[in-house]
Amino acid sequence: METRIDSEAFDRFREVTSSIGNSEIEAWKQAGGKVVGYFCSTVPEELFTAAGLYPFRMRGTGSTSTELSDGCFSNINCSYPRHTMNQALLGEYDFLDGLVCINSCDHVRRIYDNWTVRLDTPFVKVMSLPRKIGPPQIDWYYEEINLLRSDIQEHFGVEITDEDLWKAIKLHNEVRALQKKVYEYRKLDAPPISGAEALPVMVAGTAMPKERYKILLQQFLGDLEKLEGSSDYRVRLMIVGGELDDPEFMQVIEEQGGLVVTDSTCFGTRLMWRPIDESVADPVRALASYYIYDRPSCPRMYGDQSRRIDYTKELAKEFRVDGIIGERLIFCDQWLVEHYMTNADLKEDGIPFLQLDREYILSGKGQLRTRVQAFIETIEGMRS
Amino acid sequence: MDVQAVKTQSLARYKEERDWFALLAEAAKQMPTSEGELQVKLLEILLDSKQTVVDCVENDKPFIGGYFCNAPELFHAMDLPWFMLMETPFLAASAPYLLNDIEGAEEMGMGTDLCTAIRLPIYYIENGLMPVPTALLGLLYPCDGAPMLHQVIEHNKVWKDVPIYACDPPYTSDERAVQYFAEELSRMVEFLEKHTGKTLDVDRLKQVCEESNRTYSLWQDYNELRRSVPSPHGWAIGGAQAFAISQCFVAGDPRCSAWFEQLCKCAEERVAAGKGASDQEGWKEKIRLFWFDIMPYGWIFEYMPWLESEWGATIVMDMFGNFPYTLIDTSSRETMLHDLAKRNLLDAPMIRQARGTAENFSNDIRRIVTDYKIDCVIWPGHMGHKDGSATIGIMRDTCRELGVPFLHIGLDLFDKRYTSIDEVKDKTSDFFRGMGLA
Repeated sequence: METRIDSEAFDRFREVTSSIGNSEIEAWKQAGGKVVGYFCSTVPEELFTAAGLYPFRMRGTGSTSTELSDGCFSNINCSYPRHTMNQALLGEYDFLDGLVCINSCDHVRRIYDNWTVRLDTPFVKVMSLPRKIGPPQIDWYYEEINLLRSDIQEHFGVEITDEDLWKAIKLHNEVRALQKKVYEYRKLDAPPISGAEALPVMVAGTAMPKERYKILLQQFLGDLEKLEGSSDYRVRLMIVGGELDDPEFMQVIEEQGGLVVTDSTCFGTRLMWRPIDESVADPVRALASYYIYDRPSCPRMYGDQSRRIDYTKELAKEFRVDGIIGERLIFCDQWLVEHYMTNADLKEDGIPFLQLDREYILSGKGQLRTRVQAFIETIEGMRS
Repeated sequence: MDVQAVKTQSLARYKEERDWFALLAEAAKQMPTSEGELQVKLLEILLDSKQTVVDCVENDKPFIGGYFCNAPELFHAMDLPWFMLMETPFLAASAPYLLNDIEGAEEMGMGTDLCTAIRLPIYYIENGLMPVPTALLGLLYPCDGAPMLHQVIEHNKVWKDVPIYACDPPYTSDERAVQYFAEELSRMVEFLEKHTGKTLDVDRLKQVCEESNRTYSLWQDYNELRRSVPSPHGWAIGGAQAFAISQCFVAGDPRCSAWFEQLCKCAEERVAAGKGASDQEGWKEKIRLFWFDIMPYGWIFEYMPWLESEWGATIVMDMFGNFPYTLIDTSSRETMLHDLAKRNLLDAPMIRQARGTAENFSNDIRRIVTDYKIDCVIWPGHMGHKDGSATIGIMRDTCRELGVPFLHIGLDLFDKRYTSIDEVKDKTSDFFRGMGLA
């Protein structure tokens, strides 16, 4: 992917996100550190940081087939877990010292079962994430986090004190604030960074230790400040959807003249738009409340659709978006129905909406181009 | 569409479905067998339940929408009529309008990879074809589709004002999980009391749970009888009806136990005489089959009789017939809620397998294959059962370990256009032949 950004930090971000294993992991492991993988943005990664572990969000980057994982899944399963599991079966995840799964969706939750049967990672746990967002669910998740905390302490022989947790929460909040600054640049008429460039910056935050990432992010923001923006686009777009870690998908959209200026995705704003509340007494309570209620939710969380659509509309307004693309991995029931509702809600506000189904590993670029071109032309037609 | 228009239109559709069952009841009366009598009794109870809902709509009496895994004993004890939101795909999939409805759902632009059993109620709600209840109990498990259906309900302009409560399912299955679910059930009762004006009397609940225990005990006895070789019953009577009558219409009602008593008597007579399901129909039981899903209700009559007549394959057990018996301790409100939570979380068909980790699938296969002398396992691979389809490797490994062949087909249990019946039959035949079962 070509870029105008001249930044060593940005090069690092691109390097660590272009494959699964990366030099940061190698260095960490050489120093005796442990790496724990996790699925889904609802797993409290602050816990890993507090334990002195390297948190790594699971991806299937670089996968070219699913021939090994096809024995675990069927052809009605999402390509994200299929490719990710395939990468694991190929040995790409052999660096993991542990894995934390979660019942985020029908496809990803089965990774836990298949992983425990077919791979010998020493520490594999599954968290029980509630479907609702009320106080009893916060209480439930509070216990889940504490159970995971105990398991980590026991298995890795570490102690995770409340002080450690607060330190980690503060660090992660600082990172969130810096990431938000990157997004501030995207509000400009001539943003210095495109959607395809912003995505690896965000993904890198889940692929390297937070302290190291924070330093690089500060450097990157300094570099971004010096960069001249570009207004070479036809419309400003927002992406709404789930697991999207592939900058090439964004790039294809942007090549048609649609600059992606913001998003509500699992690797995007939903990770960082709101911080964890540091004013409460108990850090685990703060984490439970954040992951169940405070952060922008995905359709996985029941009873929150009205807040989600408000969030989408607020971002669309703040970033002066001309149209919204709802992306969805094929076979995802959650985003399929969510986009159905989003489409109806946006229609009432006159905001153009396009739903794009995709595979985890980008395919059908020609069709994608055609649909995006038509969408952009529709938006332009509405202007005139 | 305004509220009144929805009320009129949905009532007309609900009556149409009721009349479809009335027609089936008339047809069943022509069957001169004990099994025919059982079908008639079931359909009469179903018709009574449908008529009660019609009466509630017409006369503005409180009634609720709910699910079999919401502990229906509680609604029964509260004297609250109810209907199941997925009633049409689960119980009326043979109705003549089903394919038109599926096409209607497709035209909504919802895509075709969402479970048909979820797409249909969405279609009914969005098109004013489902009675709007006084209050609604949602379902947030066992799949991703269920909570999405209920978010559509909350989003729908006519249903928006219907109070809704959904129990949150834990992913784990230990005592902590059961206790959490019991507390969710307790909150559900508070919700129902608030929005329907009905109250839960502990003595009445005790009476209902005791009756329910009797029903489940009889079901357990019946399942023991199905272990016999040949199996006294096949697909036509047993699991599906047992599920419907015990969990969808009259949970904890003496009519339910009476029905099971007759079912057991009928099976006992067959077992005593050494007769199987086959003897009445003129075929021999050659293959004992575990059908690990819901029956293919959308095209059941085009496939199941063929399995028997062509291959002598008896469905000895299916997912909905396998309901491990959990006794409800009726000593207090707390014990009843606790055990209802356990039953509905850990026993209810499809919920017990799909809600949690994959060991629920493999453990069921292990137990049923051994207990029922099963020759092969068919996982139909319904297009909506994505978690199960992500478990096929584990299920296959389990079967391999047990030495029984495993078939994954890939179909839609409600829509025969997804995989044609001929193709399903071809795959089945190839499997039976290839595995030396023929």
